[in-house]
Amino acid sequence: MLMPTAVPWAEDEDLGSFLERRKVSRREFLGFCAEITAILGLASTMAPQVAEALQAIRRPSVIWLQLQECTGCVESVVRTAEPTIGDLVLDVVSLDYQHTLMAAAGHQAEKALQDSMAANRGKYLLVVTGSVPLNANGVYTTIGGRTAKVILEEAASGAAAVIAVGACAHWGSVQAARPNPTGAVGVGDIVKDKPVVNIAGCPPIGDVVTATIVHYLTFGRVPELDYDGRPMFAYGARIHDQCPRRANFDAGQFVEEFDDAAARKGWCLYHVGCKGPATFSPCPIFMWNTRTSWPIGAGHPCIGCTERGFWDTMSPFYTRMPNVAGVGVERTADVIGAALAVGATAGVLAHAAATGVHRVRERRAGRELPVVSGPNAPPPPTTPPTNPEGR
Amino acid sequence: MTEQLGGTVDTARARGVAHPADTPVGTFRWVYLWHWPIRAMHWVAALSIMLLIFTGFVIGRPYYLPAGQVTGEFFIGWMRLIHFIAAGALVATVIVRIYWLFAGNRYERFNALLPVRGRDWVNMLKQVKYYLMIHPERAPHYLGHNPLQQLSYTLIYVVAAVMIITGFAMYGQANPGGLIRGATLWVPQLVGGIQNVRLIHHVLTWVFLIFIPIHIYLSVRADILERGGTMSSIITGGRFVRSDEEFVDG
Amino acid sequence: MATTKVVVDPITRIEGHLRIEALAENGRIANAWATSTQFRGIEIIMQGRDPRDAWAFTQRICGVCTVVHAVASCRAVEDALDIRIPANANIIRNLMVGMQFVQDHVMHFYHLHALDWVDVVSALSADPARSAQIAASISPWPNNSATYFREVQNRVKTFVQSGQLGIFTNGYWGHPAYKLPPEVNLIAVAHYLEALDWQRDVIRLHTVFGGKNPHPNFLVGGMASAINLDETATINAERLTDIHDMIARAQRFVEQVYWPDLVAIAGFYKEWAAIGAGTGNYLACGEFPRADIRDVESLYFPRGIILNRDLGRVHSYDEKAVAEFIHSSWYEYSNGDAAGLHPYEGETKPNYTGPPTPWTYLQDEKQKYTWMKAPRYEGKPMEVGPLARMLVAYASGHEEARALIGEALGKLGVGAPALFSTLGRTAARGIETVLLARQLPRWYDDLVARIKGGDVRTFEGSRWEPSSWPSEARGYGYLDAPRGALGHWVRINDGKISNYQCVVPSTWNCSPRDAQGQMGPYEAALTSNHPLVDPERPIEILRTIHSFDPCMACGVHVLDATGKVITEVKVQ
Repeated sequence: MLMPTAVPWAEDEDLGSFLERRKVSRREFLGFCAEITAILGLASTMAPQVAEALQAIRRPSVIWLQLQECTGCVESVVRTAEPTIGDLVLDVVSLDYQHTLMAAAGHQAEKALQDSMAANRGKYLLVVTGSVPLNANGVYTTIGGRTAKVILEEAASGAAAVIAVGACAHWGSVQAARPNPTGAVGVGDIVKDKPVVNIAGCPPIGDVVTATIVHYLTFGRVPELDYDGRPMFAYGARIHDQCPRRANFDAGQFVEEFDDAAARKGWCLYHVGCKGPATFSPCPIFMWNTRTSWPIGAGHPCIGCTERGFWDTMSPFYTRMPNVAGVGVERTADVIGAALAVGATAGVLAHAAATGVHRVRERRAGRELPVVSGPNAPPPPTTPPTNPEGR
Repeated sequence: MTEQLGGTVDTARARGVAHPADTPVGTFRWVYLWHWPIRAMHWVAALSIMLLIFTGFVIGRPYYLPAGQVTGEFFIGWMRLIHFIAAGALVATVIVRIYWLFAGNRYERFNALLPVRGRDWVNMLKQVKYYLMIHPERAPHYLGHNPLQQLSYTLIYVVAAVMIITGFAMYGQANPGGLIRGATLWVPQLVGGIQNVRLIHHVLTWVFLIFIPIHIYLSVRADILERGGTMSSIITGGRFVRSDEEFVDG
Repeated sequence: MATTKVVVDPITRIEGHLRIEALAENGRIANAWATSTQFRGIEIIMQGRDPRDAWAFTQRICGVCTVVHAVASCRAVEDALDIRIPANANIIRNLMVGMQFVQDHVMHFYHLHALDWVDVVSALSADPARSAQIAASISPWPNNSATYFREVQNRVKTFVQSGQLGIFTNGYWGHPAYKLPPEVNLIAVAHYLEALDWQRDVIRLHTVFGGKNPHPNFLVGGMASAINLDETATINAERLTDIHDMIARAQRFVEQVYWPDLVAIAGFYKEWAAIGAGTGNYLACGEFPRADIRDVESLYFPRGIILNRDLGRVHSYDEKAVAEFIHSSWYEYSNGDAAGLHPYEGETKPNYTGPPTPWTYLQDEKQKYTWMKAPRYEGKPMEVGPLARMLVAYASGHEEARALIGEALGKLGVGAPALFSTLGRTAARGIETVLLARQLPRWYDDLVARIKGGDVRTFEGSRWEPSSWPSEARGYGYLDAPRGALGHWVRINDGKISNYQCVVPSTWNCSPRDAQGQMGPYEAALTSNHPLVDPERPIEILRTIHSFDPCMACGVHVLDATGKVITEVKVQ
């Protein structure tokens, strides 16, 4: 991005000035417009209008709200490779409001927000990072003295599409983990009247965010989404099914403890808690930070951060199963299950022994256990026999 | 002894096959209880559940770790293959069992699933006392399943259904656009995530491991104490009973 | 002249949500209040969890300082369980934290702080040839040609002419406080863009060892990235070479771009060496252990406290002397608001008493005004961060630090007292970045030497299983993060976290007034001989606040804004 090459039209300007920069004269441009007008089957008198419409193509406005969050998602986007954040900000879109990068502060910043919303009403793309705290009337996150909920509702009302970036905007993430003290919820819980694209992950891979924006700009619609609002192009397949260590899984080659011989061979991390089998994410394919590596690639099990509720449902992160609620860390399901199964077997044995003892005793007392059917069965007694043991 | 044992559709009679139960043997009679589909279903389910438990535990926590290169090794792959085939067999038994709820005799139909009448509940209490060896002589006599059996077997049906549903919910993940995934998406949403599905699937395995020894023990015990051919009935389909014996469901 | 009420909310180009209220009189700031406007409650969420998971939760306190909370958390748990991590793991963590410093400080300078000093619009009128000349005179950086600067200028020109200014909308362009010549502005704008690309490259060090950034993975007991020179999926020569080259590029950019730019720009703003001094007390907990964090003497950045700007004496630091106050914070303590509580006894009960939203001017309501608690050391407010670290290093006789500080002061032609200022804070950040950029290759060499010697261990697993833990344990993990001294305290009962607390740099710096009326460092700095020429365009406030590099999510991560954190938590 530092060396703009050969003047491609990067949409960093309206078409008119782009053509000007390309040394396309006004006359050539009008000629082109006349041709287009003819191709479109319009009256030649329409050519000036076409020229006007084409010249006015502008970079689409993007408004980026940062609510209750840690800024990690913004940082992730800042690390993207294609397009880079520089390309995105300068050439692809008009990023009119973004706290971490914008020059303005205070009421000038808020004015930039209001101006852009007014000027692009119904057309701007709204990107949201961070959750919305609802407890205590929302005072757990305020910007410019207004609560996150009010700000989000206002911005969403005029947006063409809403992209919720990261686990916080998706479902609340860490602050929504049990017991969710601030009552944090995701964007989709507030914005109900238009589709919300959830770019899942804590944080998501930055390229997924930029690719979603570019998808919207290029194809004029949001990408196809899965049941949880996540774009299929990124969240359509499970980590486990794309993992380069899958062969080790199928072969039964597992890391038993970190840094053991298996770990030093790069074997499967299933035993040390990998949540790849439960997680839909493009990590193994897109990888992180200009395709340098990804969590499993660096030897750490997946923690399932693209799945709703992962802080509670995927933890403990180093065991394959969640803990049974209400039971201590050490009391896993297997311990309980095994105890019950052993108990059942022991109960069976004890019962068999008791039955034997009972029979012997009854026999000594001159009575047989009733045989309910068979040649020796006595007729069903009409009165219960007395029980000398008083049992 | 011309008792009609079939359901509304007595398939055996409809096919013109003579019932062994129609033949009196001395003071005993042989009662035909379990049609062959039920017996087949029982043993297929028994086998597949054993396989599912074994392979399930191996998949959950394999102890056998092949050394060396991946090439040529497919241990967990095989385990999963067996698990999925056995799961298919179990589903087949469910289909048979559901069909036989309509087509079976009175011991196999809906009303044999649960103790429904007040008398059944009283009898269930008596049955419990029987196992506790309290007034065992008062235990009611049933030709088919006694109420305690009905309840526990139906509970196992329910558990098996949950196992199948949770199993397919996990299986479907491998093909996100597929039918199975689409049909089971509600499962993780219902229980708070696929990890909880996994947990449920895993924990409920233990229900079978608890059920199996008790089931076998009580069956064998009944066979020995009651001498009623309980064990053979699930093989041959019927049992001998005294001609004059009274049965609650007789 | 009349007093003007000034509100700057949001303060942008920081992490998180910060509101400044001030009273302006005669072109100066008469009074100031810092309000943290976000609260998340993470320490409450930590209770009852597996201590080995704690790093992941606390890491999410902040995505900018993304490794520091994770490492501090691992250290706290390792301290509690008496785990000594292998030397390789310590080196890898030093490399990761060190690269975090370098990347973060450079990004702070160009992307968060520079627009306070650099007028982007003015760069349009620069002569690119002259920019090239200036750049070449201060640095051998290869991208110093007139062609290069012209391309950048054209790009910006096109951008500005599009009429859609995007993130540059409504900046204080043309404000008289901007003093750089157009040519220097152009250099800074070029490097603003260049640094965006550079940071993406060098931070990949985190990805190699931790799998991703932000939020790379860590591990209690060491690191999960196994070393095996003869496998594909492990740390091998290919990975090591990548790291080596990243470190080289990081060092080159710092020495040839960041540091020369910083010194050059500072030369135009020397008056800021007398503005924004702040509390005058500085605290550094020290960072970069040679082998083990328990060996405080081995820290590359030394530990200590400077009081009342007296560089002649370094006081020792004892975490027991930390207490947090809530006189001005939206919390309540069971024993009343007056007492200060040590983090171990801390409580975090939010109790919002402010006005209903939307707010107009919080100070009209009096008393409590922020989600930050007020940590005090022996009752005194403390500034933490690069300036505190460099002052402690200077006063402790750290030779490399002294040499570099001396060089900077010499180039700017100012004395040591100039360090106690807005400019000093920004300069100290640059100085420690240079120190670390030079230190990274040494750690890398250490790592390679150990591997060469046959030591590839990265994890100590003897205390991994909860069955090997005592039924009760507590530990303290510290880390002097890019923004200052950070501490995590953990209590473990029966294998679960019973209490977790963090005291975070931005809590120290953004703390509100205590019952004695002592201001926190932000507030004190804003009222230390501080100009505010145009209350409508308060660029001076941004300069001083940005010189601290606020990280509000950290400060409040928890429920408590303060760093306290996590309070004692009762487990059910």
